[in-house]
Amino acid sequence: MDTNNQQPPPSAAGIPPPPPGTTISAAGGGASYHHLLQQQQQQLQLFWTYQRQEIEQVNDFKNHQLPLARIKKIMKADEDVRMISAEAPILFAKACELFILELTIRSWLHAEENKRRTLQKNDIAAAITRTDIFDFLVDIVPRDEIKDEAAVLGGGMVVAPTASGVPYYYPPMGQPAGPGGMMIGRPAMDPNGVYVQPPSQAWQSVWQTSTGTGDDVSYGSGGSSGQGNLDGQG
Amino acid sequence: MTEESPEEDHGSPGVAETNPGSPSSKTNNNNNNNKEQDRFLPIANVGRIMKKVLPGNGKISKDAKETVQECVSEFISFVTGEASDKCQREKRKTINGDDIIWAITTLGFEDYVAPLKVYLCKYRDTEGEKVNSPKQQQQRQQQQQIQQQNHHNYQFQEQDQNNNNMSCTSYISHHHPSPFLPVDHQPFPNIAFSPKSLQKQFPQQHDNNIDSIHW
Repeated sequence: MDTNNQQPPPSAAGIPPPPPGTTISAAGGGASYHHLLQQQQQQLQLFWTYQRQEIEQVNDFKNHQLPLARIKKIMKADEDVRMISAEAPILFAKACELFILELTIRSWLHAEENKRRTLQKNDIAAAITRTDIFDFLVDIVPRDEIKDEAAVLGGGMVVAPTASGVPYYYPPMGQPAGPGGMMIGRPAMDPNGVYVQPPSQAWQSVWQTSTGTGDDVSYGSGGSSGQGNLDGQG
Repeated sequence: MTEESPEEDHGSPGVAETNPGSPSSKTNNNNNNNKEQDRFLPIANVGRIMKKVLPGNGKISKDAKETVQECVSEFISFVTGEASDKCQREKRKTINGDDIIWAITTLGFEDYVAPLKVYLCKYRDTEGEKVNSPKQQQQRQQQQQIQQQNHHNYQFQEQDQNNNNMSCTSYISHHHPSPFLPVDHQPFPNIAFSPKSLQKQFPQQHDNNIDSIHW
């Protein structure tokens, strides 16, 4: 039973299969983690493509997800800010929505690593510590949350910033875990834990809906039909 | 065992915001509830947006929503401060959409730029076509009169859409100016057959030769 569970990697349709290194049992822990990272980055790329297509179809600028008056008050909190044009809060309403969505996607990865279905404060803290563009938020979360993150990662990871300037904390291509390189400091790795469920199924369904209506879609459908099977195995 | 108590969204945002958790590293007094609420975006709106990218069985704790509330306010202040500095350097008083996009680019949120440029372009195109209130209807009539003078075929919706699309495309397109290389026109070598040039090359010493060449 364990042998059967370990062999088939859970890759969703449309997503490129993981590199062969993930099948090595020695690097199982690191490989599964990198597998999650790759899925997250692919998911984020799909997210940005979807966002651009969604904005292309925007016709009504009256219905906003966020109140403009409140945004304006927050902008005005800075004494140096004098006058604000009408388009600035409207643009911020969309920018804040993108910000909330990206922060939530990155936070959900941490929740899934800990086998939880409820997003918590330390998940937000983990996303902040892992993402360079979120450095300005380190004061928002207390250090206790960051300690939890450090404990999970086994003392923290040292990752060099990418030369391309892409705003991701991790390199785009997941490298196999070397001796003491990027190992996850988990006490014991459950054989079933090697194959983690693909994150954010709901968003992928939204992506499928968008794919169905669009004619010029460069990505295939990212639906994961193996979700039920994985739950059954777990 | 960690506390995993999922919060339902049935609670009213007003009540939720009346007793917010103490914000970390901020020593503001919580005496004025109104100001406290105004510092953040409504928790219901934030929670609704967060749910868009979570699976159906995913839940969000209340402290996670409150943390994201604080993060969004920090994001607005962060970007606004950068845009305000740019306006001051350029001696301008009003922060506009382009300043926001510039600040977002400078602060590293490159992925946000393309969607926001499309959004801003569409907003500017539809700004002059508001139909909602009676005042705006009057303004619309005036604008229609002006636009009829400028655009002869304004009545056709398709052409109007084409114009919008073209303006959006031109706004987003990247201009690649080709560098013009000046052609260095080098002068031709002296013509050997010209008697004047020969005189220049051979002053006085070969006068007899020149005369003989002529004859």
